[in-house]
Amino acid sequence: MMKAHDASHAALSAQRLTLRAGTRTLLEAFTHTFYEGELWCVAGPNGAGKTTLLATLAGLLQPSAGQVELDGVRLADWQPLPLAQRRALMPQSAADAFSASVLDIVMLNRFPHLTGWGWEREADRDAAHAALELLGLAAFATRDVLSLSGGERQRVALAAVLCQDAPLLLLDEPLSHLDLHHQIDCLEALGGWAHEPGRTVLFSCHDLNLARRFATHALLLDGDGGAYAGPVHDVLTPALTSRAFGYPLILIRDGEHEALIPAPR
Amino acid sequence: MNRGSSSTTPTTSTMRVMNAKRAAAIWLALAVVALVVLMASLALGSVALPPGRVLAALMPSSSAHGGSADLTAEIVRTLRLPRALAGFACGALLALAGALLQVLLRNPLAEPYVLGVSGGAATFALVAMIAGGAWWIVDASAFAGAFVSILLVLGLARRELWRGEPQDTSPRLLLTGAVIAAGWGALITLLLNLAPDNRLRGMLFWLTGDLNGGAMPWTALAVLAVALLAIVPAAPRLNVLLRGDAAAQALGVAVVPLRLRVYLVASLAAAAAVTTAGTIGFVGLVVPHMLRLAFGNDQRMLLPAAALGGGVAVMGADLIARTAIAPAQLPVGVITSIIGVPVFLWMLLHRRR
Repeated sequence: MMKAHDASHAALSAQRLTLRAGTRTLLEAFTHTFYEGELWCVAGPNGAGKTTLLATLAGLLQPSAGQVELDGVRLADWQPLPLAQRRALMPQSAADAFSASVLDIVMLNRFPHLTGWGWEREADRDAAHAALELLGLAAFATRDVLSLSGGERQRVALAAVLCQDAPLLLLDEPLSHLDLHHQIDCLEALGGWAHEPGRTVLFSCHDLNLARRFATHALLLDGDGGAYAGPVHDVLTPALTSRAFGYPLILIRDGEHEALIPAPR
Repeated sequence: MNRGSSSTTPTTSTMRVMNAKRAAAIWLALAVVALVVLMASLALGSVALPPGRVLAALMPSSSAHGGSADLTAEIVRTLRLPRALAGFACGALLALAGALLQVLLRNPLAEPYVLGVSGGAATFALVAMIAGGAWWIVDASAFAGAFVSILLVLGLARRELWRGEPQDTSPRLLLTGAVIAAGWGALITLLLNLAPDNRLRGMLFWLTGDLNGGAMPWTALAVLAVALLAIVPAAPRLNVLLRGDAAAQALGVAVVPLRLRVYLVASLAAAAAVTTAGTIGFVGLVVPHMLRLAFGNDQRMLLPAAALGGGVAVMGADLIARTAIAPAQLPVGVITSIIGVPVFLWMLLHRRR
């Protein structure tokens, strides 16, 4: 039996992880361990491999070289259902084809917890309602998913992975389509969620300033095999981000507020 | 705070949560309707029989009586019962195949007839008939035709066969299916022109679905049982699959084997239905859609319900087909298409983007 919930080993670790897309090397021999209580922002230019990295860390893609371990066990050695109870992945949004209530869609992520004939129990329904509540979506439970706007659909998708109740969350662009207000609401909800013992969140994001404010750590991909990982204020610096994005960025300060902005040409 | 949601809040008509108890109630209700329609199919026809006589005819002892009771038993047992059961089995298979194709392709308009599956089965069957093959060769050809046709649609309509793309709801798939169906149609016309006269009548049977050919229901019923046993336990996984392949895989579903299973069961069901009763259109579209409107899209409920509902639909349509302008009999495929075409167009035009 795997030590799935042994807190002393609770960590996700990449070991000499190499990711390639065609002839390009996205990530070269990346070694790092993500611990509980950390809220990671994965940043980098378009096509740098953020989605590929998250899918690989979730075990959906095989790395070109190296390996990923979760709680000391190689991802390839995890059984699918225990793995789905241990980590949740929110893919970039896909359109729904059929009518369904928001509650039903969110509750689908209880799949790894279903037993017997595969019908949800009261506890599954409660988890779905709690996740909707956490993101301020309680009033949406009976809405038809086909009637939602892009941002609403995105928040429903986030509620769905939260109700999966997996201690490791991997979120691919959870803030896309959200207005500023909801971006901040979602990041605050994620920050609170990650505070519970054993939990880790990795999310990819393009807003460096929101990342600097809410994330504890950052992983910056330069799209050329290089990656910088560490506490967010050590990684999302003007020097490193300018190099990764290929455009000069400067840090401006107003009292205790800081912002990374593109330098004037 | 939720600016976008203040104006209208469209909800589906089925916001009640589905659970095992509610699903069982739906299945029970549909089963009762099926029994009623079955009784009507046995009682009505050129010789109308009271229900008591029908039941008596079904009892094993009834053959002991002489005279008219014997004739009644004969009509019920050898004419009406096989025909009604064949109708039920074909309808159930077609509706199940439709519901499964709709999951596989993530498109509510997918259906064996619309996608040309029935046409493929018919074409292959006609070739076998022209070649003078035995009945089982004709049936095997029909199976092969159904499989090939689904494979063609799947292969042409998406770049990677086993990867569900988010754009699956696009009309591209339907266009591909419709064009393939047109291609089969042309081949069928060609084959009919080439065929010797003495084979024409049997061949025409394939072109309009017809339960009048003395179709025996047992193969179709057996395939129905196998298909349900093979796919109903996977229904919770099919619900997850509808969210897209990446989401399903992240939830612990082995996507590729599941897709393969859905494909095989849908093809088998469609092929068995076409082999038994020719091409009956639109059942796989209308029945799952009506059930979805009424009870939601939970596959755990929908797959068995579609089988029962499809059985009722074709059994009922055949009852209409052979009593509406009696003593003349219409092919059942005419009735289902007359109802199915407007429903399909309505669905196509009212799709939400």
